Amino acid sequence: MSMRVQERAIPNGVILELAGDLTYANREQFKAAVEAVHQRGIRRLLLDMANVRFIDSSGLGLLALVAQRFKLTQGQVGLLNPQAYVREIMALANIPSLIPIYKSEQEALAVSGKAA
Amino acid sequence: MTVRQSGLEHKPLGLEHGQGVLIDSVAEEAVRPSPVVLIVDDDPVARLAMAGRVKRLGYRVLEAGDGKSGLELLRLERPDLTILDWMMPDLDGPSFCEQVRRDPEIGSSQILMMTSNDHPEHIAEGLARGADDFLSKAASRQEIIARIQAGIRTASLIRRLEQITDQLRRKQMLLDQELRAAARYVESLLPVPGMVVPGVELAHLYRPSLALGGDLYNVVLCGDGSICMYLLDASGHGVASALRSASLASFLREDSLLRYVGSHDPGAILTEANRLFPMTEAGEYFTIIMTRLDVRSQKLFYAAAGHSGVCVSRRNGTVEWLVQPSLPLGFDAACVYQTAEILLRPGERLYLFSDGLYEVPNSHSTEELWGKERLAAALCRAADQPLNGTLSTVVAEASQWSGQDGFPDDVAVMGIELKECPVIERVSFSETDEVPDEP
Repeated sequence: MSMRVQERAIPNGVILELAGDLTYANREQFKAAVEAVHQRGIRRLLLDMANVRFIDSSGLGLLALVAQRFKLTQGQVGLLNPQAYVREIMALANIPSLIPIYKSEQEALAVSGKAA
Repeated sequence: MTVRQSGLEHKPLGLEHGQGVLIDSVAEEAVRPSPVVLIVDDDPVARLAMAGRVKRLGYRVLEAGDGKSGLELLRLERPDLTILDWMMPDLDGPSFCEQVRRDPEIGSSQILMMTSNDHPEHIAEGLARGADDFLSKAASRQEIIARIQAGIRTASLIRRLEQITDQLRRKQMLLDQELRAAARYVESLLPVPGMVVPGVELAHLYRPSLALGGDLYNVVLCGDGSICMYLLDASGHGVASALRSASLASFLREDSLLRYVGSHDPGAILTEANRLFPMTEAGEYFTIIMTRLDVRSQKLFYAAAGHSGVCVSRRNGTVEWLVQPSLPLGFDAACVYQTAEILLRPGERLYLFSDGLYEVPNSHSTEELWGKERLAAALCRAADQPLNGTLSTVVAEASQWSGQDGFPDDVAVMGIELKECPVIERVSFSETDEVPDEP
Protein backbone atom coordinates (compact mmCIF):
# COMPACT_ATOMS: atom_id res chain seq x y z
CA MET A 1 0.00 0.00 0.00
CA SER A 2 1.32 3.44 -0.86
CA MET A 3 1.48 6.39 1.48
CA ARG A 4 -0.13 9.81 1.31
CA VAL A 5 1.39 12.70 3.23
CA GLN A 6 -0.48 15.93 3.92
CA GLU A 7 1.03 18.91 5.62
CA ARG A 8 -0.81 21.20 8.03
CA ALA A 9 0.55 24.19 9.97
CA ILE A 10 0.40 24.40 13.76
CA PRO A 11 1.80 27.14 16.03
CA ASN A 12 5.59 27.12 15.53
CA GLY A 13 5.54 23.93 13.54
CA VAL A 14 3.99 21.46 11.17
CA ILE A 15 1.84 18.35 11.33
CA LEU A 16 2.43 15.70 8.67
CA GLU A 17 -0.68 13.56 8.35
CA LEU A 18 0.44 10.16 7.16
CA ALA A 19 -1.96 7.71 5.53
CA GLY A 20 -0.89 4.25 4.37
CA ASP A 21 1.99 2.01 5.36
CA LEU A 22 5.23 3.37 6.82
CA THR A 23 7.46 0.77 5.14
CA TYR A 24 10.58 0.24 3.05
CA ALA A 25 8.54 0.68 -0.15
CA ASN A 26 7.36 4.17 0.92
CA ARG A 27 10.60 5.37 2.50
CA GLU A 28 11.56 7.89 -0.17
CA GLN A 29 8.19 9.59 -0.03
CA PHE A 30 8.30 9.84 3.76
CA LYS A 31 11.90 11.06 3.81
CA ALA A 32 11.20 13.69 1.17
CA ALA A 33 8.22 15.04 3.11
CA VAL A 34 10.17 15.25 6.39
CA GLU A 35 13.24 16.67 4.68
CA ALA A 36 11.15 19.41 3.09
CA VAL A 37 9.91 20.43 6.54
CA HIS A 38 13.40 20.30 8.04
CA GLN A 39 14.92 22.32 5.20
CA ARG A 40 12.52 25.18 5.93
CA GLY A 41 14.01 25.46 9.40
CA ILE A 42 10.85 24.21 11.12
CA ARG A 43 11.74 22.84 14.53
CA ARG A 44 8.51 21.34 15.75
CA LEU A 45 7.19 18.34 13.82
CA LEU A 46 4.23 16.16 14.70
CA LEU A 47 3.66 12.97 12.73
CA ASP A 48 -0.03 12.08 12.74
CA MET A 49 -0.04 8.28 12.70
CA ALA A 50 -3.81 7.76 13.01
CA ASN A 51 -4.11 6.46 9.45
CA VAL A 52 -0.90 4.43 9.39
CA ARG A 53 -1.98 0.80 9.28
CA PHE A 54 1.40 -0.92 9.24
CA ILE A 55 5.03 -0.15 10.04
CA ASP A 56 8.01 -2.39 9.25
CA SER A 57 11.63 -2.34 10.42
CA SER A 58 12.55 0.25 7.80
CA GLY A 59 9.71 2.44 9.04
CA LEU A 60 11.05 2.22 12.59
CA GLY A 61 14.48 3.24 11.25
CA LEU A 62 12.94 6.22 9.48
CA LEU A 63 11.28 7.40 12.71
CA ALA A 64 14.61 7.10 14.55
CA LEU A 65 16.32 8.97 11.73
CA VAL A 66 13.80 11.81 11.96
CA ALA A 67 14.30 11.97 15.73
CA GLN A 68 18.09 12.15 15.28
CA ARG A 69 17.81 14.77 12.53
CA PHE A 70 15.61 17.11 14.57
CA LYS A 71 17.61 16.58 17.76
CA LEU A 72 20.73 17.86 15.99
CA THR A 73 19.02 21.18 15.35
CA GLN A 74 17.35 21.34 18.78
CA GLY A 75 14.03 20.50 17.15
CA GLN A 76 11.17 18.42 18.55
CA VAL A 77 9.37 15.47 17.01
CA GLY A 78 6.23 13.83 18.33
CA LEU A 79 3.90 11.04 17.24
CA LEU A 80 0.12 11.44 17.30
CA ASN A 81 -2.40 8.67 17.81
CA PRO A 82 -0.70 5.53 16.47
CA GLN A 83 -3.04 2.56 15.92
CA ALA A 84 -2.75 -0.33 18.38
CA TYR A 85 -0.68 -2.60 16.12
CA VAL A 86 1.73 0.17 15.12
CA ARG A 87 2.02 1.25 18.76
CA GLU A 88 2.90 -2.33 19.69
CA ILE A 89 5.63 -2.60 17.03
CA MET A 90 7.05 0.77 18.08
CA ALA A 91 7.05 -0.33 21.71
CA LEU A 92 9.12 -3.43 20.84
CA ALA A 93 11.82 -1.17 19.41
CA ASN A 94 11.44 1.22 22.35
CA ILE A 95 10.57 4.10 20.04
CA PRO A 96 8.62 5.89 22.83
CA SER A 97 11.93 6.43 24.62
CA LEU A 98 13.14 8.41 21.58
CA ILE A 99 9.95 10.10 20.41
CA PRO A 100 7.05 11.08 22.68
CA ILE A 101 3.64 9.72 21.71
CA TYR A 102 0.55 11.91 22.21
CA LYS A 103 -3.14 11.04 22.26
CA SER A 104 -4.25 14.34 20.77
CA GLU A 105 -2.96 17.40 19.02
CA GLN A 106 -3.93 19.53 22.02
CA GLU A 107 -1.90 17.38 24.36
CA ALA A 108 1.08 17.47 21.99
CA LEU A 109 0.91 21.23 21.62
CA ALA A 110 0.58 21.76 25.36
CA VAL A 111 3.53 19.51 26.21
CA SER A 112 5.85 20.54 23.40
CA GLY A 113 4.87 24.16 23.95
CA LYS A 114 6.06 23.91 27.53
CA ALA A 115 9.28 22.19 26.50
CA ALA A 116 9.96 24.86 23.90
CA MET B 1 46.36 -21.28 -30.05
CA THR B 2 47.15 -17.96 -31.70
CA VAL B 3 45.45 -14.69 -30.95
CA ARG B 4 44.02 -14.52 -34.46
CA GLN B 5 42.38 -17.89 -34.09
CA SER B 6 40.81 -17.01 -30.80
CA GLY B 7 39.48 -13.80 -32.32
CA LEU B 8 37.77 -15.80 -35.01
CA GLU B 9 35.75 -17.60 -32.38
CA HIS B 10 33.96 -14.31 -31.71
CA LYS B 11 32.76 -13.92 -35.23
CA PRO B 12 29.04 -13.25 -34.96
CA LEU B 13 26.46 -15.38 -36.70
CA GLY B 14 25.48 -14.25 -40.15
CA LEU B 15 28.62 -12.21 -40.81
CA GLU B 16 30.41 -13.71 -43.74
CA HIS B 17 31.84 -12.87 -47.11
CA GLY B 18 35.05 -11.24 -46.05
CA GLN B 19 33.65 -8.91 -43.43
CA GLY B 20 36.67 -9.64 -41.26
CA VAL B 21 37.03 -10.56 -37.62
CA LEU B 22 34.64 -8.82 -35.27
CA ILE B 23 34.94 -9.01 -31.54
CA ASP B 24 32.01 -7.09 -30.19
CA SER B 25 28.56 -5.86 -31.01
CA VAL B 26 29.75 -2.28 -31.62
CA ALA B 27 32.06 -3.46 -34.38
CA GLU B 28 29.25 -5.66 -35.64
CA GLU B 29 26.97 -2.64 -35.95
CA ALA B 30 29.61 -0.60 -37.71
CA VAL B 31 30.41 -3.03 -40.51
CA ARG B 32 27.22 -5.03 -40.73
CA PRO B 33 26.81 -6.17 -44.37
CA SER B 34 23.88 -5.21 -46.48
CA PRO B 35 20.62 -6.89 -45.46
CA VAL B 36 19.80 -10.29 -46.91
CA VAL B 37 16.43 -11.02 -48.50
CA LEU B 38 15.24 -14.56 -49.20
CA ILE B 39 12.73 -14.94 -52.04
CA VAL B 40 10.68 -18.14 -52.01
CA ASP B 41 8.56 -18.58 -55.14
CA ASP B 42 7.96 -21.60 -57.37
CA ASP B 43 7.46 -19.36 -60.41
CA PRO B 44 11.00 -18.69 -61.79
CA VAL B 45 9.95 -15.61 -63.75
CA ALA B 46 8.25 -13.89 -60.81
CA ARG B 47 11.20 -14.86 -58.59
CA LEU B 48 13.74 -13.40 -61.00
CA ALA B 49 11.77 -10.18 -61.39
CA MET B 50 11.52 -9.74 -57.59
CA ALA B 51 15.23 -10.61 -57.18
CA GLY B 52 16.14 -7.86 -59.63
CA ARG B 53 14.09 -5.28 -57.73
CA VAL B 54 15.53 -6.26 -54.40
CA LYS B 55 19.12 -6.24 -55.67
CA ARG B 56 18.60 -2.73 -57.05
CA LEU B 57 17.72 -1.64 -53.48
CA GLY B 58 21.23 -2.74 -52.48
CA TYR B 59 20.23 -5.93 -50.66
CA ARG B 60 21.79 -9.35 -51.04
CA VAL B 61 19.36 -11.91 -52.46
CA LEU B 62 18.88 -15.63 -51.80
CA GLU B 63 16.42 -17.64 -53.85
CA ALA B 64 14.45 -20.83 -53.30
CA GLY B 65 12.07 -22.50 -55.76
CA ASP B 66 9.87 -24.27 -53.20
CA GLY B 67 8.79 -24.01 -49.58
CA LYS B 68 10.93 -26.85 -48.26
CA SER B 69 14.25 -25.61 -49.64
CA GLY B 70 13.21 -22.07 -48.65
CA LEU B 71 12.85 -23.22 -45.05
CA GLU B 72 16.30 -24.86 -45.19
CA LEU B 73 17.86 -21.64 -46.51
CA LEU B 74 16.06 -19.61 -43.83
CA ARG B 75 17.53 -21.82 -41.09
CA LEU B 76 20.99 -21.74 -42.64
CA GLU B 77 21.33 -18.10 -43.63
CA ARG B 78 18.93 -16.27 -41.27
CA PRO B 79 17.91 -13.60 -43.83
CA ASP B 80 16.62 -10.25 -42.61
CA LEU B 81 13.44 -10.59 -44.65
CA THR B 82 11.70 -13.43 -46.46
CA ILE B 83 9.41 -12.65 -49.39
CA LEU B 84 7.13 -15.64 -49.70
CA ASP B 85 4.63 -16.72 -52.36
CA TRP B 86 1.30 -17.93 -51.01
CA MET B 87 0.55 -20.54 -53.66
CA MET B 88 3.24 -23.22 -53.90
CA PRO B 89 3.07 -27.01 -54.30
CA ASP B 90 3.81 -29.19 -51.21
CA LEU B 91 4.54 -26.50 -48.64
CA ASP B 92 2.47 -23.38 -49.33
CA GLY B 93 3.09 -19.90 -47.90
CA PRO B 94 0.84 -20.10 -44.79
CA SER B 95 2.16 -23.58 -43.84
CA PHE B 96 5.72 -22.24 -44.30
CA CYS B 97 4.87 -19.39 -41.87
CA GLU B 98 3.43 -21.82 -39.32
CA GLN B 99 6.61 -23.92 -39.35
CA VAL B 100 8.75 -20.80 -38.89
CA ARG B 101 6.70 -19.55 -35.92
CA ARG B 102 6.85 -22.93 -34.22
CA ASP B 103 10.67 -22.99 -34.31
CA PRO B 104 12.16 -20.80 -31.53
CA GLU B 105 15.45 -20.53 -33.44
CA ILE B 106 13.87 -18.73 -36.40
CA GLY B 107 10.50 -17.76 -34.94
CA SER B 108 11.15 -14.02 -35.07
CA SER B 109 11.92 -13.98 -38.83
CA GLN B 110 10.17 -11.26 -40.81
CA ILE B 111 7.91 -12.65 -43.56
CA LEU B 112 6.27 -10.65 -46.32
CA MET B 113 3.68 -12.81 -48.09
CA MET B 114 2.78 -12.25 -51.75
CA THR B 115 -0.60 -13.13 -53.12
CA SER B 116 -2.75 -12.38 -56.13
CA ASN B 117 -5.86 -12.71 -53.96
CA ASP B 118 -6.11 -9.65 -51.75
CA HIS B 119 -9.53 -10.22 -50.20
CA PRO B 120 -9.62 -9.13 -46.57
CA GLU B 121 -10.50 -12.67 -45.29
CA HIS B 122 -7.60 -14.07 -47.26
CA ILE B 123 -5.18 -11.53 -45.80
CA ALA B 124 -6.54 -12.11 -42.29
CA GLU B 125 -5.94 -15.85 -42.67
CA GLY B 126 -2.33 -15.26 -43.79
CA LEU B 127 -1.64 -12.92 -40.86
CA ALA B 128 -3.24 -15.34 -38.42
CA ARG B 129 -1.03 -18.17 -39.68
CA GLY B 130 2.17 -16.18 -39.19
CA ALA B 131 2.85 -13.67 -41.98
CA ASP B 132 4.02 -10.22 -40.86
CA ASP B 133 2.82 -8.26 -43.88
CA PHE B 134 1.20 -8.67 -47.27
CA LEU B 135 2.10 -7.66 -50.79
CA SER B 136 -0.34 -7.91 -53.65
CA LYS B 137 1.18 -9.22 -56.84
CA ALA B 138 -0.52 -6.27 -58.50
CA ALA B 139 1.16 -3.73 -56.22
CA SER B 140 2.98 -0.77 -57.68
CA ARG B 141 6.77 -0.63 -57.76
CA GLN B 142 6.73 2.06 -55.06
CA GLU B 143 4.57 -0.02 -52.75
CA ILE B 144 6.75 -3.09 -53.21
CA ILE B 145 9.86 -1.07 -52.35
CA ALA B 146 8.18 0.57 -49.33
CA ARG B 147 6.97 -2.76 -47.91
CA ILE B 148 10.37 -4.41 -48.36
CA GLN B 149 12.08 -1.50 -46.61
CA ALA B 150 9.52 -1.57 -43.78
CA GLY B 151 10.17 -5.30 -43.34
CA ILE B 152 13.94 -4.76 -43.22
CA ARG B 153 13.46 -1.96 -40.67
CA THR B 154 11.37 -4.20 -38.42
CA ALA B 155 13.87 -7.04 -38.80
CA SER B 156 16.73 -4.78 -37.72
CA LEU B 157 14.76 -3.61 -34.65
CA ILE B 158 13.94 -7.19 -33.69
CA ARG B 159 17.58 -8.23 -34.14
CA ARG B 160 18.72 -5.34 -31.93
CA LEU B 161 16.13 -6.30 -29.31
CA GLU B 162 17.33 -9.91 -29.40
CA GLN B 163 20.95 -8.79 -28.97
CA ILE B 164 20.06 -6.59 -26.00
CA THR B 165 17.97 -9.35 -24.41
CA ASP B 166 20.88 -11.71 -24.86
CA GLN B 167 23.30 -9.24 -23.25
CA LEU B 168 20.91 -8.70 -20.34
CA ARG B 169 20.52 -12.43 -19.87
CA ARG B 170 24.30 -12.88 -19.79
CA LYS B 171 24.72 -10.04 -17.29
CA GLN B 172 21.92 -11.41 -15.12
CA MET B 173 23.62 -14.81 -15.16
CA LEU B 174 26.89 -13.24 -13.99
CA LEU B 175 25.09 -11.33 -11.23
CA ASP B 176 23.32 -14.50 -10.10
CA GLN B 177 26.63 -16.35 -10.00
CA GLU B 178 28.18 -13.59 -7.90
CA LEU B 179 25.21 -13.54 -5.54
CA ARG B 180 25.44 -17.30 -5.11
CA ALA B 181 29.17 -17.01 -4.38
CA ALA B 182 28.48 -14.30 -1.80
CA ALA B 183 25.70 -16.44 -0.26
CA ARG B 184 28.12 -19.37 0.01
CA TYR B 185 30.55 -17.07 1.83
CA VAL B 186 27.86 -15.90 4.26
CA GLU B 187 26.89 -19.53 4.89
CA SER B 188 30.53 -20.36 5.56
CA LEU B 189 30.39 -17.86 8.44
CA LEU B 190 27.60 -19.83 10.14
CA PRO B 191 28.49 -22.15 13.02
CA VAL B 192 28.95 -25.89 12.65
CA PRO B 193 26.05 -27.76 14.27
CA GLY B 194 26.65 -30.41 16.91
CA MET B 195 28.43 -30.26 20.26
CA VAL B 196 29.98 -26.78 20.26
CA VAL B 197 31.51 -27.44 23.66
CA PRO B 198 31.05 -30.56 25.74
CA GLY B 199 27.50 -30.59 27.12
CA VAL B 200 26.12 -27.97 24.75
CA GLU B 201 24.44 -29.02 21.51
CA LEU B 202 23.81 -26.50 18.75
CA ALA B 203 21.45 -26.59 15.77
CA HIS B 204 20.35 -23.92 13.33
CA LEU B 205 18.34 -23.24 10.20
CA TYR B 206 18.75 -20.45 7.68
CA ARG B 207 16.28 -19.47 4.94
CA PRO B 208 17.25 -16.14 3.32
CA SER B 209 14.38 -14.54 1.38
CA LEU B 210 16.74 -13.56 -1.45
CA ALA B 211 19.99 -15.24 -2.46
CA LEU B 212 21.69 -13.11 0.18
CA GLY B 213 20.17 -12.46 3.57
CA GLY B 214 20.63 -9.72 6.14
CA ASP B 215 20.26 -12.10 9.09
CA LEU B 216 23.32 -13.65 10.62
CA TYR B 217 23.98 -15.64 13.76
CA ASN B 218 26.94 -17.35 15.32
CA VAL B 219 28.57 -18.86 18.35
CA VAL B 220 31.67 -17.34 19.92
CA LEU B 221 33.78 -19.64 22.07
CA CYS B 222 35.12 -17.44 24.83
CA GLY B 223 38.47 -18.20 26.37
CA ASP B 224 36.87 -18.29 29.81
CA GLY B 225 34.88 -21.46 29.06
CA SER B 226 31.62 -19.68 28.35
CA ILE B 227 30.02 -19.39 24.93
CA CYS B 228 28.33 -16.39 23.38
CA MET B 229 25.49 -16.83 20.90
CA TYR B 230 24.02 -14.01 18.90
CA LEU B 231 21.50 -13.43 16.16
CA LEU B 232 21.51 -10.14 14.30
CA ASP B 233 19.22 -8.69 11.67
CA ALA B 234 20.23 -5.85 9.37
CA SER B 235 17.22 -3.80 8.27
CA GLY B 236 16.55 -3.86 4.54
CA HIS B 237 17.30 -6.73 2.19
CA GLY B 238 19.82 -7.94 -0.32
CA VAL B 239 23.49 -7.24 -0.89
CA ALA B 240 23.77 -4.04 1.16
CA SER B 241 22.17 -5.67 4.22
CA ALA B 242 24.34 -8.77 3.88
CA LEU B 243 27.52 -6.67 3.71
CA ARG B 244 26.51 -4.71 6.79
CA SER B 245 25.69 -7.93 8.64
CA ALA B 246 29.05 -9.44 7.74
CA SER B 247 30.85 -6.35 9.06
CA LEU B 248 28.99 -6.49 12.39
CA ALA B 249 29.70 -10.24 12.57
CA SER B 250 33.42 -9.49 12.17
CA PHE B 251 33.21 -7.12 15.13
CA LEU B 252 31.61 -9.92 17.17
CA ARG B 253 34.56 -12.31 16.77
CA GLU B 254 36.39 -13.36 19.92
CA ASP B 255 39.63 -11.46 19.16
CA SER B 256 37.78 -8.30 18.23
CA LEU B 257 35.56 -8.44 21.34
CA LEU B 258 38.63 -8.68 23.53
CA ARG B 259 40.23 -5.71 21.80
CA TYR B 260 37.22 -3.37 21.59
CA VAL B 261 35.04 -4.41 24.51
CA GLY B 262 37.43 -6.16 26.86
CA SER B 263 34.73 -8.51 28.16
CA HIS B 264 32.08 -10.99 27.06
CA ASP B 265 29.31 -9.23 28.90
CA PRO B 266 26.36 -9.05 26.45
CA GLY B 267 25.32 -5.55 27.56
CA ALA B 268 28.87 -4.20 27.23
CA ILE B 269 29.20 -5.78 23.76
CA LEU B 270 25.96 -4.19 22.53
CA THR B 271 26.81 -0.81 24.07
CA GLU B 272 30.10 -0.78 22.15
CA ALA B 273 28.47 -2.10 18.95
CA ASN B 274 25.90 0.70 19.24
CA ARG B 275 28.73 3.23 19.33
CA LEU B 276 30.59 1.67 16.39
CA PHE B 277 27.60 1.00 14.12
CA PRO B 278 25.49 4.17 13.90
CA MET B 279 22.40 4.28 11.75
CA THR B 280 23.19 4.84 8.07
CA GLU B 281 22.05 7.96 6.26
CA ALA B 282 19.32 5.88 4.66
CA GLY B 283 17.98 4.92 8.09
CA GLU B 284 19.37 1.35 8.04
CA TYR B 285 20.30 -0.23 11.35
CA PHE B 286 20.69 -3.53 13.21
CA THR B 287 18.67 -5.39 15.76
CA ILE B 288 20.50 -8.04 17.73
CA ILE B 289 20.16 -10.42 20.62
CA MET B 290 23.40 -11.35 22.39
CA THR B 291 23.59 -14.15 24.96
CA ARG B 292 26.38 -15.75 26.97
CA LEU B 293 26.09 -19.14 28.61
CA ASP B 294 28.42 -20.04 31.45
CA VAL B 295 28.27 -23.81 31.16
CA ARG B 296 29.62 -24.50 34.63
CA SER B 297 27.32 -22.22 36.58
CA GLN B 298 24.43 -22.78 34.08
CA LYS B 299 23.86 -19.04 34.10
CA LEU B 300 22.60 -17.45 30.92
CA PHE B 301 23.38 -13.75 30.48
CA TYR B 302 21.65 -11.78 27.76
CA ALA B 303 21.06 -8.33 26.32
CA ALA B 304 19.01 -7.22 23.34
CA ALA B 305 18.93 -4.26 20.99
CA GLY B 306 15.50 -3.98 19.41
CA HIS B 307 15.24 -7.73 18.96
CA SER B 308 12.84 -9.83 20.95
CA GLY B 309 13.11 -13.24 19.30
CA VAL B 310 14.70 -15.11 22.18
CA CYS B 311 13.13 -17.68 24.49
CA VAL B 312 13.94 -20.60 26.75
CA SER B 313 12.01 -23.85 26.78
CA ARG B 314 11.89 -25.30 30.29
CA ARG B 315 11.87 -28.91 31.38
CA ASN B 316 8.26 -28.56 32.53
CA GLY B 317 7.26 -27.82 28.92
CA THR B 318 6.75 -24.06 29.27
CA VAL B 319 8.31 -21.43 27.05
CA GLU B 320 9.65 -18.16 28.52
CA TRP B 321 10.26 -15.14 26.32
CA LEU B 322 13.23 -13.28 27.67
CA VAL B 323 13.64 -9.69 26.64
CA GLN B 324 12.02 -6.35 27.34
CA PRO B 325 11.66 -3.62 24.68
CA SER B 326 15.03 -2.11 23.81
CA LEU B 327 16.39 0.30 21.23
CA PRO B 328 17.91 -1.16 18.06
CA LEU B 329 21.60 -0.42 17.48
CA GLY B 330 22.23 3.05 16.10
CA PHE B 331 18.99 4.65 17.33
CA ASP B 332 20.60 6.50 20.22
CA ALA B 333 24.38 6.85 20.47
CA ALA B 334 24.21 7.32 24.25
CA CYS B 335 22.25 4.13 24.91
CA VAL B 336 23.68 1.77 27.52
CA TYR B 337 22.44 -1.81 27.11
CA GLN B 338 21.83 -3.79 30.29
CA THR B 339 22.64 -7.45 30.87
CA ALA B 340 20.04 -9.68 32.50
CA GLU B 341 20.54 -13.25 33.68
CA ILE B 342 18.57 -16.46 34.22
CA LEU B 343 19.45 -20.08 34.84
CA LEU B 344 19.48 -22.65 32.07
CA ARG B 345 19.20 -26.14 33.53
CA PRO B 346 20.27 -29.38 31.87
CA GLY B 347 17.62 -30.55 29.40
CA GLU B 348 16.54 -26.97 28.74
CA ARG B 349 16.96 -25.10 25.50
CA LEU B 350 17.66 -21.56 24.39
CA TYR B 351 16.23 -20.42 21.03
CA LEU B 352 17.14 -17.33 19.02
CA PHE B 353 14.80 -16.42 16.13
CA SER B 354 14.80 -13.75 13.47
CA ASP B 355 11.49 -11.88 13.36
CA GLY B 356 11.00 -13.19 9.81
CA LEU B 357 9.84 -16.44 11.43
CA TYR B 358 7.06 -15.20 13.68
CA GLU B 359 6.09 -12.08 11.73
CA VAL B 360 5.19 -14.18 8.71
CA PRO B 361 1.74 -13.19 7.38
CA ASN B 362 -0.95 -15.69 6.48
CA SER B 363 -1.31 -15.22 2.74
CA HIS B 364 -4.56 -17.22 2.47
CA SER B 365 -6.92 -14.86 4.16
CA THR B 366 -6.32 -12.19 6.72
CA GLU B 367 -2.62 -11.39 6.49
CA GLU B 368 -2.66 -12.20 10.21
CA LEU B 369 0.87 -12.76 11.52
CA TRP B 370 1.91 -16.15 12.84
CA GLY B 371 3.07 -14.51 16.06
CA LYS B 372 5.07 -15.49 19.08
CA GLU B 373 2.18 -17.33 20.77
CA ARG B 374 1.80 -19.78 17.91
CA LEU B 375 5.59 -20.10 17.75
CA ALA B 376 5.74 -20.91 21.47
CA ALA B 377 2.93 -23.46 21.09
CA ALA B 378 4.76 -25.09 18.16
CA LEU B 379 7.95 -25.24 20.26
CA CYS B 380 6.07 -26.97 23.08
CA ARG B 381 4.53 -29.54 20.72
CA ALA B 382 7.92 -30.32 19.20
CA ALA B 383 9.87 -30.20 22.46
CA ASP B 384 10.43 -33.98 22.56
CA GLN B 385 12.18 -34.06 19.21
CA PRO B 386 15.94 -33.75 18.90
CA LEU B 387 17.00 -30.10 18.69
CA ASN B 388 17.37 -29.93 14.90
CA GLY B 389 14.04 -31.71 14.48
CA THR B 390 12.32 -29.13 16.67
CA LEU B 391 13.75 -26.31 14.57
CA SER B 392 12.68 -27.93 11.28
CA THR B 393 9.18 -28.59 12.61
CA VAL B 394 8.73 -25.02 13.81
CA VAL B 395 9.98 -23.53 10.54
CA ALA B 396 7.75 -25.90 8.58
CA GLU B 397 4.72 -24.81 10.63
CA ALA B 398 5.51 -21.13 9.97
CA SER B 399 5.93 -21.91 6.29
CA GLN B 400 2.58 -23.68 6.25
CA TRP B 401 0.99 -20.61 7.85
CA SER B 402 2.49 -18.37 5.18
CA GLY B 403 1.06 -20.67 2.50
CA GLN B 404 3.94 -19.93 0.16
CA ASP B 405 7.11 -21.75 -0.81
CA GLY B 406 9.50 -19.17 0.57
CA PHE B 407 9.30 -16.68 3.41
CA PRO B 408 8.83 -12.97 2.58
CA ASP B 409 11.63 -12.04 4.99
CA ASP B 410 14.87 -13.77 6.02
CA VAL B 411 14.31 -16.60 8.47
CA ALA B 412 17.06 -17.68 10.83
CA VAL B 413 16.75 -19.91 13.87
CA MET B 414 19.45 -21.08 16.24
CA GLY B 415 18.98 -23.28 19.28
CA ILE B 416 21.20 -24.76 21.97
CA GLU B 417 20.45 -27.45 24.48
CA LEU B 418 22.27 -27.96 27.73
CA LYS B 419 22.56 -31.75 27.82
CA GLU B 420 21.19 -33.76 30.73
CA CYS B 421 24.55 -35.21 31.68
CA PRO B 422 27.03 -32.62 30.60
CA VAL B 423 30.60 -33.77 30.77
CA ILE B 424 31.55 -30.29 31.85
CA GLU B 425 34.17 -31.57 34.24
CA ARG B 426 36.18 -32.41 31.18
CA VAL B 427 35.94 -28.90 29.70
CA SER B 428 39.26 -27.17 29.88
CA PHE B 429 38.92 -23.92 31.75
CA SER B 430 42.65 -23.71 32.02
CA GLU B 431 43.10 -19.98 32.49
CA THR B 432 39.99 -19.22 34.47
CA ASP B 433 39.49 -22.16 36.77
CA GLU B 434 40.05 -19.94 39.75
CA VAL B 435 37.84 -17.13 38.53
CA PRO B 436 34.37 -16.90 40.09
CA ASP B 437 31.39 -17.45 37.83
CA GLU B 438 30.24 -13.86 37.69
CA PRO B 439 31.80 -11.60 35.10
